[in-house]
Amino acid sequence: MLPNENAIEIEPGLKRMLLIEIVFPMILLVLGIYHGLVQVLYRAGIIHGSHFLGLEYFQGLTLHGVVNALVFTTFFAVAFGYAVIRQHLGRPLNMKIAWLSFALMMIGTLLSAAMILAEKATVLYTFYPPLRAHPAFYIGLVLVVVGSWLAFFNWLPPYFAWKREHPGAKIPLAVVGIFAAFIVWLIATAPVAVEILFLLIPWSMGWVPMVNVPLARMLFWFFGHPLVYFWLLPTYVMYYTMLPKLCGGKLFSDFAGRLTFLWLVLYSAPVGIHHQFTEPGITDTWKFVHAFFTMLVAVPSFLTAFTMAASMEQGARQSGGQGLFGWWKKLPYLDKDRWLFSYLFAGLFIFIFGGVTGIINASYNMNNVVHNTAWLPAHFHQTVAGPVFLSYIGMSLFLTANLTGKEIKLPRWNVWIPYIWTLGIMIFSTGLFIGGAAGEPRRTNLGVSYSDPHSPLYHPEWHFGDMMGCVGGIIMTIAGLMFFVVFFATLFGRTAKKGALDLIVSEPYHDERVPAVQSFTPWLAAAALLLVIAYAPPLTETIRSQFPGARGYYPHSPLPIDAEPGH
Amino acid sequence: MTTTQLEKRIFAVAVIFVLLLFGFAALAVNQFHVGLPTCLTSVKPFQKGEVITHSPNHYEVHYVARMWRFEPEEVTVPAGSTVDVYVSTPDVTHGLILLGTNLNLMAVPGVVNYARVKFDQPHVYQVLCHEYCGLGHDRMAATLRVVDAATYRPPQAPPASPAKTDPGYRLLDAKQCLSCHSLQDDAELAPSFKGMYGRSQKLTDGSIVTTDDAYLRESILHPSAKLVTGYDDVMPVPDATNEEVEQMIEYLKTIK
Repeated sequence: MLPNENAIEIEPGLKRMLLIEIVFPMILLVLGIYHGLVQVLYRAGIIHGSHFLGLEYFQGLTLHGVVNALVFTTFFAVAFGYAVIRQHLGRPLNMKIAWLSFALMMIGTLLSAAMILAEKATVLYTFYPPLRAHPAFYIGLVLVVVGSWLAFFNWLPPYFAWKREHPGAKIPLAVVGIFAAFIVWLIATAPVAVEILFLLIPWSMGWVPMVNVPLARMLFWFFGHPLVYFWLLPTYVMYYTMLPKLCGGKLFSDFAGRLTFLWLVLYSAPVGIHHQFTEPGITDTWKFVHAFFTMLVAVPSFLTAFTMAASMEQGARQSGGQGLFGWWKKLPYLDKDRWLFSYLFAGLFIFIFGGVTGIINASYNMNNVVHNTAWLPAHFHQTVAGPVFLSYIGMSLFLTANLTGKEIKLPRWNVWIPYIWTLGIMIFSTGLFIGGAAGEPRRTNLGVSYSDPHSPLYHPEWHFGDMMGCVGGIIMTIAGLMFFVVFFATLFGRTAKKGALDLIVSEPYHDERVPAVQSFTPWLAAAALLLVIAYAPPLTETIRSQFPGARGYYPHSPLPIDAEPGH
Repeated sequence: MTTTQLEKRIFAVAVIFVLLLFGFAALAVNQFHVGLPTCLTSVKPFQKGEVITHSPNHYEVHYVARMWRFEPEEVTVPAGSTVDVYVSTPDVTHGLILLGTNLNLMAVPGVVNYARVKFDQPHVYQVLCHEYCGLGHDRMAATLRVVDAATYRPPQAPPASPAKTDPGYRLLDAKQCLSCHSLQDDAELAPSFKGMYGRSQKLTDGSIVTTDDAYLRESILHPSAKLVTGYDDVMPVPDATNEEVEQMIEYLKTIK
């Protein structure tokens, strides 16, 4: 990779923790990706049945969602956050808190994973009540969240110390991005903590007989949407602070980066009801308000698309790119010394489609056509399994190689991995978009019914889309396997140089100092106000409506848990 | 032009663009009445699926979505009718999508969901559950037929079929046995009740038993004791008295 004047040597303790925090979820990811593959085989009707190699379909789907979307992302965001804070603020961190945070996340993950593997938590990663999991599943999730909070609190002392020493200086852009990510995470996890601690745990323990399902669902989606911006913000940090330099240029505008990060603090949360457009118990007014805010949360994506294109153009012209379109040829697509570019660029490409389909889903009544169909996983695989996943695995490899001083193994393979993944995900998602637009349900083992020619429910017209999904899924799995080979070969390979932390830092091309984006405070105040406007009335309505509660059910029985004799 | 000016322009274009899209959605609500499912906090969740005829071209369907079937399973209305669809669930969260239309509803415990749909042409529509609801989710479906108005015959007022008034049938229904055991041939989650009594049955341990009274009694009260080959050991123990078990067995004898 590029010679970096910012490289710093870091404390062995922090280095050890970062490596464990990157490698541990990577091992789980092998399992998560495996069940991604098995699912496309089921859905294409290649596997008929409810089990494959000892794993039940929905058990595997729960694992796929929890591991890939909740565990891998949270561990990575924490590890990357530590790296950014350590490098940009230049201060050692409190390792006791860091290890405590890691231990909580690790124990929580193992607890939840054990429950899923024991078939005691087949409730999917949205864990909608009144399907009920073992209490340990919920407790495990709480531990992961609390652990990640501790990491963020651990970054506050160095942040304030840095500010005291640099009065009036601009906060490093990467730090603004990471802080924005974790502020969004705090906003997101507060309501889901309320849901789990006050509704789900007492009910799954049997202390209270009933659960208020509409309230639980509203609290879940209060979490569920800002969650996706928590995933996206570390990716944006890489786009704004690393991609321009990888192209040989500078970040077109420092202001655009700050505005994007702060805008997401403002608008990522008061939009959650757009996941509940087709639900009863929520007044249309509030669905409409959330639809409006959802449109505004798309604005920074446009800013980012513009700024990234401008930065890449600026870099490509530095390398001799000419003409209106000719400069596209001067980008380091397959440069194995600047391989991280391919991971970031491929993700940016996929995100164009993820963004457009996101706007479709958010368009209020348009949602009627696609809600809970295969269209939805097609959309969010183009976001979380596109830019987010590619940048996270790319940065995991980057940090691992640099911290240990190892050379990247199979560098030619490595640079192709993101493009193979892109090919796979474009085919996969197109197949699911086709099926979804025709009403094909998501979260359904099609292999036992709609994809089974022997079933009275067989839908031959969905077969084409399912086969595309399957082909795409197989290509994604190949890219995933190639990545695991490169990652673990690098990790266990020969040490070439002294390990260091050297995140790439792009210089700004335009470095205006716009006062409005220099401080978090006004944005936090505005975010709080928007949250009150968007959520106080519907939450109050839901609580005051006194909907009848629901008893708990296990997924394999149509009888309520407390109705079975001997309970 | 300075960067800030250029960026202001980009920012303005992005904001105007998304507001325009939002405007389209609002226009569709106002001009074409393409709305969302309506919030009905006043209607208490119902337990019985039924079709109510308000007029020859206005119907009300009460769907009960339960693990793992819709009630009513078959609905027939004439072309040209307006149908008010209500959905309620007595157990977990379900979904209801009427394939080929914009009818897309969540069934959430504790609340009734509602949307109106108009059918112009004869067509056989499939109703699917599109939210994960447990073991039988993948097969949870129903049918809605829109027939030519000229050939449509309103359903005759119920002399309910004698089978459905049988106390044994009512017990099997009330104890959710019918969630998995069908009365037809197409059961896949559990052995069908059709012809269940008095046949030779292969078990997972390879042995063959005759499904007599004693076998059925044991299988109802201790479902894990003997397992039919091809099925998982997932049946819950129903809360049933001896007398109720006998009534259920008597009814099973009649399902040939």
